[in-house]
Order: sequence, then structure tokens, then C-alpha cells
Amino acid sequence: MSGYRLARGGRIDRNRPVAFRFDGRDYSGFAGDTLASALVAGGVTLLGRSFKYHRPRGLLGMGAEEPNALVTVDRGPARITPNLRATQVALHDGLVASSQNRWPSLKFDVVALNDVFGALFPAGFYNKTFMWPRAAWEALYEPVIRRLAGLGESPVARDPDHYDATYAHCEVLVIGGGIAGIEAALDAAQTGGRVILIDDQDDLGGGALSDAALWPLLTDLKARLAGCANVTVLGRTTAFGYYHQNFIGAVESLTDHLAPAEATGPRERLWRIRAGEVVLAQGAIERPLVFDGNDVPGVMLASAGRTLALRHGVAVGRAVVVMAAHDSGWRDALAMAEAGVTIAAIIDIRDVVPGDLAEAARAAGIAVHTGCAITHVSGRHAVKGVTFAAAGTGPERHIACDAVLMAGGWTPSVHLWSHGKGSLAWSEAWGAYLPGTAIENCRAVGACAGAWSLGSGVITAVLPNRKPVRAQKAFVDFQNDVKARDIHLAVQEGMRSIEHIKRYTTNGMATDQGKTSNLNGLQIASTVLGRPVADIGLTTFRPPYTPQTFGALMGHHKDALFQPVRKSVIDDWATAQGAVFENVSNWRRARYFPRGGETMEAAVLRECAAVRNAVGMFDASTLGKIEVVGPDAAEFLNRMYTNPWKGLQPGRCRYGLLLREDGFIMDDGVSARIADDRFHLTTTTGGAARVLGMMEDYLQTEWSDLDVWLTSTTEQWAVIALQGPMARAVIAPLVEGIDLDGAAFPHMAGREGTIAGVPTRLFRVSFTGELGFEINVPAHEGRKVWDAVHAAGQAHGITAYGTETMHVLRAEKGFIIVGQDTDGTMTPADMGLDWAVGKKKPDFVGKRSLARPDMDAPGRKQFVGLLTEDAGELLEEGAQVVADPDAPIPMPMIGHVTSAYRSAAAGRTIALAVIADGRARIGQTVFIPMPGRVIRAKVTAPMFYDPEGSRLNA
Amino acid sequence: MLEIAPLAVAGIDLATGTAAVNGMVSGLPVCIAPAAPLTRWSLRARDAGALSAAIGRALPDRIGVVIDGIARLGPDEWYALLPEGTVLPGGAGLPVSVVEVTARAVGFTVEGAGAVAALARGCPLDLAGFAPGRATRTVFETVEVQIWATAPETYHVEVWRSFAPWLWHSLAAGLALTAGLD
Repeated sequence: MSGYRLARGGRIDRNRPVAFRFDGRDYSGFAGDTLASALVAGGVTLLGRSFKYHRPRGLLGMGAEEPNALVTVDRGPARITPNLRATQVALHDGLVASSQNRWPSLKFDVVALNDVFGALFPAGFYNKTFMWPRAAWEALYEPVIRRLAGLGESPVARDPDHYDATYAHCEVLVIGGGIAGIEAALDAAQTGGRVILIDDQDDLGGGALSDAALWPLLTDLKARLAGCANVTVLGRTTAFGYYHQNFIGAVESLTDHLAPAEATGPRERLWRIRAGEVVLAQGAIERPLVFDGNDVPGVMLASAGRTLALRHGVAVGRAVVVMAAHDSGWRDALAMAEAGVTIAAIIDIRDVVPGDLAEAARAAGIAVHTGCAITHVSGRHAVKGVTFAAAGTGPERHIACDAVLMAGGWTPSVHLWSHGKGSLAWSEAWGAYLPGTAIENCRAVGACAGAWSLGSGVITAVLPNRKPVRAQKAFVDFQNDVKARDIHLAVQEGMRSIEHIKRYTTNGMATDQGKTSNLNGLQIASTVLGRPVADIGLTTFRPPYTPQTFGALMGHHKDALFQPVRKSVIDDWATAQGAVFENVSNWRRARYFPRGGETMEAAVLRECAAVRNAVGMFDASTLGKIEVVGPDAAEFLNRMYTNPWKGLQPGRCRYGLLLREDGFIMDDGVSARIADDRFHLTTTTGGAARVLGMMEDYLQTEWSDLDVWLTSTTEQWAVIALQGPMARAVIAPLVEGIDLDGAAFPHMAGREGTIAGVPTRLFRVSFTGELGFEINVPAHEGRKVWDAVHAAGQAHGITAYGTETMHVLRAEKGFIIVGQDTDGTMTPADMGLDWAVGKKKPDFVGKRSLARPDMDAPGRKQFVGLLTEDAGELLEEGAQVVADPDAPIPMPMIGHVTSAYRSAAAGRTIALAVIADGRARIGQTVFIPMPGRVIRAKVTAPMFYDPEGSRLNA
Repeated sequence: MLEIAPLAVAGIDLATGTAAVNGMVSGLPVCIAPAAPLTRWSLRARDAGALSAAIGRALPDRIGVVIDGIARLGPDEWYALLPEGTVLPGGAGLPVSVVEVTARAVGFTVEGAGAVAALARGCPLDLAGFAPGRATRTVFETVEVQIWATAPETYHVEVWRSFAPWLWHSLAAGLALTAGLD
């Protein structure tokens, strides 16, 4: 192919030349060109290397279907986009693009040796050859295959671009801006509703842009469209997916068509559109013909040749041969001839073609060979000529040419129709599937519905040839390098369904999803199997219609806005104090407060000691909180929790254990009865939403008769845990309206009053084993109260502590953390929490499951403590525990370490674990095998400090 | 080597704005501002009449409608946005739930000809027909919000306190991103 710019014609602006680079060479095109059209105009034939055999490839199509011309566009550092179809890259000044999948250069690619030895790489080759040894797949085969059989290189730098996203609503959404789509949009606009018209090109018009006869009509339609205030036209926008209930995903390209210096604002915008009705006007894609040499650069679709000539003013070659099985190829040839392209010949596989076309061709001086097929294409990097023969088997004749155009008929684009689960019906006339019955409120119009006259033709499998199919390089899927012989092989090897043939050969499995190959693959399989196409099945299209950037799909969720980071109202204070934070579900929490370069270990030991010896304060605001209100509140909690709640007096608190229906621990927390009909529940930080959801589920589905309602109050209350022997002394001067005396306000009591002048729900509770209070105040007053308590505590040596210290303090007392010490398979008995299960209660969530025999069978893991023989040895959380470290591998594992810390109070390390029959092993030695050594530990009760609880009631 | 981006903790520096932000969305002006302080109440009851009697106020019958600062969010759920200092009776002993949630949420005002476009960037609801006097619970991207149409081209957005910095910046980013583009 030696393409060149025609002297006139096309919709390009010849007054606006555009300079660009491809593979390091300078070229020039015009405004209105795509990268592909400008390259063809510049005489470039070779645009890529094929995926598997690294065969030289040129353009096939001129639109979204293009399988070969995948390029990398470089818009500066960190703005490199691989795998773009050159046919859809708008030309702008300074564009820099390069070809892919070749080394060292596009013209000379060493891996093209794959092609020489192509016979050794049939379908299924990789699956069969690289199976053994297994380990080599990850280490050797896959990296090498990926390197050789690759697309463009993924960018490695952070994407500096922004991406926008929006929702939109309309009564009618039209997808496809060809004449059928514009007319549908104009019709819809008449009804007065909101209409959105989406088109993926720079210019509305679709196929009509390549048909000068339709330009006046197009101009008129576009003017009418512009006059409709209720129509929004989204150009350069690809509808990539059709989801339930007429929800369409589309990406609008905002800046890629501009020179980088002119690009401001977001690069792309994600449109999430809910439409009353969807009108699909996606058009049709021309089908290649399958014949020996059909992938030599310069062999392309007739429609692409037409688009190049009529829309871009580019001739694909100086002598063009058309290989047709369809009338449209003749029309394209005639239109191109009229535009100034030299058509050397039209070859048609049909013996008889419509008289008007034959007459017109003769009148145009074009040689016509009916009943013939191309049997060979000469040239490697570019077409040099074709050999053809009557019926493919007659005497061979040769024509010198530099481009071959294939007109194999048309495949209506049913991609989005299929996403929307619409049925498909086989059409013999089209040799393709057409939209059948819609599921959504959706209809197809124009060519994608089969309702457009593109002429008629015959449907072929492989063009007839004297050579057997296995000796031909007749390609079906250009992107995945699938040849007709591969489909023959798949059938020989026993594949019968197209789904199997597809997976065996990878036909249609490239990034183009087989836009040009699916139907040819089906036809070949049908012919070989001797069964109708409709019996072989059809493959399914899935979103996206064309590959989309991750940036567009991420939309707003980038950098600081990636996801919300929830912070308590004390967070600013903790930040100012130099706290180290950790993430707990979406919250970030202060983990410890290092002083003067302290390590975490030193800080935590200091914070623990402060709580045990004086007083510590802790931000517990992230605890989940639920206000349970209504006459049936106590009855409801009694049914949810394992322990009894009806007898709890107002002003008292109770530990609640929540099981799932299966009897395993789901959450826990201390809750207070504020009034007869009002409870203040707490949940774990991570479990808040889950617990509320579960409780609401039971209320709505099981017990809708109960008069009780749940309100999330997690964010209503800031919570300050004040723990340690001096806790009462710290708040005494701040509290009004509550008698803090130990007798009047005992452990597990709750009172309402004020603290630092702020209304509070003050609970005397402890997760540390020390005298303690949890101060609940409205969140917007939280910081004020925190500051007041901190100031009042100075005289008592108050120390702020974080989640790590909280974990250590509770571990010293053997208090569990759901999700750390439990793993979703632990019962209350396993965790030593039988006392929290109401034996006399008729029912509670999970009760029936607890009665299953295996729930208290011997051998269940039980919650115990572990003390390493070496008091300085810190176990690793998650480490496996064994009874006999000398047992043969695989060694029976009897449990694992759930928590391990250095304890200031115990003066040594401590650990918690779940171990099979753990309570019966107390006093025994167990073993924790670690890399290179085995740690010995003694099983203890899960209690390392103040087992009598004397400090709690101080 | 691939540069690993700092994790989402990048968002820790976000703080809710304290002053109005003006900008354009889709070529239309928008102003985002912190709303004036209000009291907030979550109101629940099976029988609207019982709740109305308990708090001594009229309640909207239709879901999604506001009367005198009280929106009906669901069949058994109402939400009150009342002037600062308002106290509602607690409904003790009655088959109702009255829970003050003043501190749970904060409010923003989104106002201007581009207000719908600004909200539509993250809210899947069709706000074109959302006339003044309407209110609903919905989402902005992954975050639960309430949107109250308080006047023509004026919306009050309620969001839980800890999500407010993210929402504020998400709304504001839309203004900056699209200003002068369309």
C-alpha cells in the first residue's frame, strides 16, 4: 500500500496542517484527520505487529473495530496511553505516537520468527506445551510469553490527570450519531422530553460522513438537532456498557484530541445515564473475507478504503483491488473511483452481481472478475499484488496492486443490545444475528437493527482455494492471530460449541471482543461441522464495548478523595500531639502517642503503666452506637442478645454478646438502659453498620410487630474513656448532677448529668480492668470536654493513650476483641463467655444453632492464655500452635495465637490463643514452630492481671 | 518499578470548609456553603398520628415531602431540621422513637443555576423534577446524604459528621474541575 493524499475531497481542513510523530519520524496531516488516516496519507503501511506471530500488520478498519493498528500515544511524562486504536486517535499538533509489540523496530522484529515457525504454534499450543514443570509457569513461561505476546506497555508513573464523573437522566437516550441515530433523536425531541445523543466520533454522521451524497442531508439534520433545546449531544463519547434498568455507562473524551498544552481540566468524564428509553443506533461493522494472505498490510475493509477517500481525502493505494462478496464493495469502489482513487479491479466471488453495479463499474473503466476469489497475496510488509482464480481453483491470474479491499458483508453491532440481555435472532439475509426481543425498554434502529440497505451479498466461510486450509495464512481474528486452520483444528479436536471453539482458539477474545472475527469464526465452524450457525451457538458480548481507562471508571475517587477517611472530633488534638494513627474500618484512630522519639513498644508500655498507676484518657468516639427506643425495646434486645435484658434497670449497663443465626459470635459491646423504653447500645468500631443492618433486618422481617426503632448515634456522641485509679478524681470537679461516689454510681451504671457544662451520658464501665468511665457528649462538644478533662487530669498525671495500649490493657484482663480473638467460627462457650448466655431464655438469635451437637463437641478450639517460657519472647499473632513439634509434616495444628503483647503489668510478654480443648491443656506446654526454631509456651487461663477484679470496683 | 501511591490516608488532611465556595458546573454558577446551625431529630413511629401527637407538630403524609422542617423519609421514618434551640418532647412510654441527632450530621447549602449539575456529579437521583419542599435520603458516590430542596435552585445537603470533609471537597472539586470548561 502506498497511500497518498488525494488532490481534493474529504472533510479535512486543508488550511490547517498538523505536524505529528510516529515511531520517531515526522509526518504531517490535516485537521480532521485521525492518526490512521494521516499515516496512510503519509504512505505508512505498517502499523503494528500481531499478538502471537508478530506478523506485520496494517490497518483493517477505520473505526472502533480496528484490531491491528494499536498504538501508544505519549502526551508527556506520566501521560502515556497504550493500546489506542489509531483509527480513533484524533490528530492534533505535536501528537507523538508509536507502534507496539515489536523489537527492536516495527520493520524488523526478531520475534517474527514465531511466524516462520508458525506451524509449531497451533491453537492450544500454550496450554499444551507450557504445562510442565508446573513451577516454571509463573517463574519463566508466563513472563516470557507475556513479554513476547504483548499489547503496549502499561504506564508505571502516577497518572497526573483528573477525571470527572456525573450522573444524567433523560427520557430517551440514543446511542450512535449516524443518520438513523440523529433521526431517532429528532423524533424523540418532538415529545418534549430530555434526549441525549451519544456518538464516539469527532463529528456526528457515522457512515454518512463517508458518503458525499448524504452530506447535504447530514447538514440539515445537524442543524435541526442544534435547534432542539432538549437534546444534549455528547460527541467523542463511547457508551461502553448497558446495565440493568436502562443504565448506561459512557466515557466522554475531553482533552485527548487537543495538544497537551491546550488541554485543561479533566481528561475524561464518566457519564452514568439512566434513560427512560434507549435507542441503539450503533450501525454495522463490515466483515473481512477469509483468504490466504488476508492480513498482509494493505489488505483492509472496503468501508475503510471508502472512509479514507471520502472523509479524509486519502487514497489507500495507487492501484486498488476490491475483493467482494457483497454489493457494498462495488459501491465503495465506485465512490472511491469517483473521488480519484484508481481501482485496478473488482473481484467478486459471486457469479452474478446486480446489473446496475456491473454496468457502473464498466462505465468507470474498472476491470471486473466475477465468480473469482483471491488465492494469494504477495508482499510481506505491503501488498505487491494478488493472485486470483475462477472459483478459487481455476487457472490463476495475477494483478499488481498495492491495496486490497475486502467486502464480506456487514455485521450489525449488537454489542450493547446483548449487554442489555436482549435476545438475538439469526438472519440468513445478513448472515448475522439481529436484535430480537428486548428485555429493557430499548429498541434498535438503522443498520444495527438490520434496518438499513447496504445491498446484498453472499456469506462465505473461507474463500475457495486450491490449497488446503491448513496450508493457508487465512486470518479470522487479526488481533489474536487466529487462522481458519485453528478453527478447523478445534473442531477436529472435538469442540462443538462456539463457546468451546472460542476458548480453544481464543477467537474473539482479544480486546476488540471479535468485532470483525466472531461471525467469520461461526461461519467456518458451521461449515466444518456441517450444522447451521444457529445450532453452534453464539458468544456473548460484555462491557466494555471498547477498552476504557481506569481513570474514567474511578471518576472522583482519586488521591485525597479516593475514599472518605473518617476522623473523630478528637483527631486534630491527637495530630497535634504527634499521635501515630492506624485505620480501623473507614476510621483512622490514634494508635499511640510517642514522646521524644519513643518506639511504639516504649510508648505503649508507658501508656499502660499510666493507666494502671494513675489515669489515662482514650478517644473511643468511633465505637458504634445505636439508640434503641420504643415500648418493646427491652423485648427486642432480649431476642437479639444472648443474655437477658428485660430485668436490667434504667441507669444500669450490661455487656451484650451478639451471635449470628449460626451461633457464632458476631459482635459485642456494653449497653446502657437510659429509660424503660430507651437503650444506648454500643458495638465494635468495625461492626457498627453490620450490627445495625442485622438488627433492622430482624425488625423488618421477623418481628415487625414490635414497637421499637433503631437510630444510629455513632456520630452523635463523642466518647472519652477515662481509665485508671485516679479517674474519679479527675472528673469530680467537672461533673454536675451525678453522684460519683462508688456506692451511688457503681461499676456498670450509667447516669445523665453535665460535664464541663456539657450534657453527658456518663457510664461507669471498663475495658481495662481499672476504675473507669466512658464520657458520652454530643460530638460537636467533644473536643471541648476532652480539653477540659485533659486539663483537669494534669494534676493526676493524665496520659492520653491509643488503640495499641487499649488492646494490651484488655488482653491483660482477657477481654476479647471480636474479629481478632474470634474468627467467625467461635461460640460463646469457645470464648469462655457461657456466663453471658441466658440459659433460661426461650430464644435469642443463634440459640438453636448452639444446641447442635458439634457446637460443644470435644476438640473445639477454646480461648486460653499463653506464656512463653522465655518471658521476653513475643509471639507472632497468627502463629500456629502444635502439640508435638517433632510430628511429621504436615504437622497437626491445634490452634493459633490471636493476640500477643508486651505487658507492663505482667512484666513480661503475654499472648492469647484459641487451642483445641485449650482449657483442658492449662498448665501444659505447647509449641509454636517458627522459621528456624520452635517456641515453647505454657497454656494458662486468659487472665494476666488482677483476676479478682478488685481494681474495677475501687 | 511501579510507584505505589500513598494510600487513602492522603485524605486525612481534608477539612470541611468554613466559608462559601463559588464556581461553575457545566457553565452554570454554583455556591457551596456551610449551613447555619440547626437541631436534628430522627423520628420513628408506626402510626404517624401517634408521633404527631407526641411531638405536637404536623407531619408530612407523603414520603419525600417536607412540612415545617420535618421530612418524611420512609413509611415509619421522619427527620426534623429545626431552628437551633428547639427541643422536642421525648415521647416516653409512647409507641414512638424521638432521638436527637443534632451532632450526628452537618449541613451544606448548594445553590445556584448549576446546583443540580453539581449534585448530579455524584448523586444518582434525577433532581430535575425535585421541586422545593421535597427531601430524600440518597447517596453522593459512596456516602449517604439527605438532599432537601429548600427553594428554587437551592438545596440543603445533610451528611454525617465524619463524611463531611470528603463530601465538601468532592463538591468543591467539581466546581474547580469544570469551571469554565463547558
